Amino acid sequence: MKVTICIGSSCHLKGSRQVVEALQNHVREANLQDKVELGGAFCIGNCQNGVSVTVDGVVHSVNPDNVDSFFENEIKSKV
Amino acid sequence: MNNLCTEIGYHSINKYGEQLCGDHIEVIEQGENSFVMVLADGLGSGVKACILSTLTSKIISTMMAANMSVEDCVSTIAATLPVCDVRKIAYSTFTIIRVVNNEEAEIIQYDNPHVILLRNGKNYDYPQTVTEIGGKQIYRAKLKLELDDVFIAMSDGAIYAGVGMELNYGWQRENIIDFAEAFYTKEYTAKTIATLILDECHRLYGYHAGDDTTVGAIKIRKRESINLMIGPPSKPEELKKMHTLFFSKEGKHIVCGGTTSKLAAEYLGKEVVPLLDYFDPEIPPIAKIEGVDLTTEGVITISKVLENAKSYLDSNEEYMQWSSKKDGASRISRMLFEEATDINFFVGMAVNPAHQNPNLPINFNIKMNLVGELSKCLKQMGKRIKVSYF
Repeated sequence: MKVTICIGSSCHLKGSRQVVEALQNHVREANLQDKVELGGAFCIGNCQNGVSVTVDGVVHSVNPDNVDSFFENEIKSKV
Repeated sequence: MNNLCTEIGYHSINKYGEQLCGDHIEVIEQGENSFVMVLADGLGSGVKACILSTLTSKIISTMMAANMSVEDCVSTIAATLPVCDVRKIAYSTFTIIRVVNNEEAEIIQYDNPHVILLRNGKNYDYPQTVTEIGGKQIYRAKLKLELDDVFIAMSDGAIYAGVGMELNYGWQRENIIDFAEAFYTKEYTAKTIATLILDECHRLYGYHAGDDTTVGAIKIRKRESINLMIGPPSKPEELKKMHTLFFSKEGKHIVCGGTTSKLAAEYLGKEVVPLLDYFDPEIPPIAKIEGVDLTTEGVITISKVLENAKSYLDSNEEYMQWSSKKDGASRISRMLFEEATDINFFVGMAVNPAHQNPNLPINFNIKMNLVGELSKCLKQMGKRIKVSYF
């Protein structure tokens, strides 16, 4: 599974770093390093709804507050 | 003509408790490749010294730039400076360094510590002649410039640093030479050299300077171009032209901005590979594109570069941060402030709709102001700047 987090200007201001760090921690704790590939993207054209995160090409809007449930629902349960 | 160019950097610390500096440095350019730098140290400290040194350096630099003789300059100063009420004399020392066509330097000095010349990082004792003008002993030297020559001019505050505190006899010229030789690195800019020496003076004074202290450095270096592109063009049909011009320029290439880097990568037929390493929590990570020397986010990164630039021109306090850190803003700062002598900005004026959100601290005007302010700062650093808008 490929998960891409937008680190463009808008998303950065909306909390990309916290989302990146949270997802990195969750993936490590759930031992999913082999199955989930985390990557960055420079602007995926969804700035208004940042932080934009794509899971296998599907765009989601995530923020530092809902990143935990996002990981459970969209990543952990689907690998 | 040659491909050498000069870089000037200077800074002062005031005598402890004084609000004004009694030393003054004035630089006047004569065309692109010649200039006169004058460092003057006025008698006493505070307002009086400040007026004396400002007058002296302004008068000398203006007259020298107009090709008048040193004799004329000295007699003009003697006739113009206001006489001190307490001491009944009008007095200011001066050091003049004049660079002609980036080929030749003339050093004229009166009563300041003699200019230190580092050639290949080692002290070089240049021959001097002494002439007497109006009862003043004036030392003069003329020499051919070589690549990496560093001239260090200072006021006597530098050699009195630490008298009776850290050191018995102050930090003498020989000690300053040893210090400068020891830290010398080819990459250091004139400003860095000046601030390193000045910081050491400040330390020796125990951060309570007993006299105004000024260090001015001139460095002879090769021209080096760096090109920076930020923002997509306002008219999409200009994109190809912008890219062709940008990538055909000699020197390193920096691409700033999410959309900008995506378009640049498409032009090059390569991928943008963003890295997820946050070396600084405030600055978005950089990315890699084959064929581009550095790819970063746009507005936030450039804002930080501007902050660094302002600090560099002032006290240079942020230097310890940006000189070694790996985030995008520090990298750009090093490339623009230290490596480059000529910088070409390619600025795209497209408006990013996502940035026109009142809740975000970025918008189109801010972006345009950033580039304008940054190029102003870089000009003050002595860089040749060209900004092209698309």
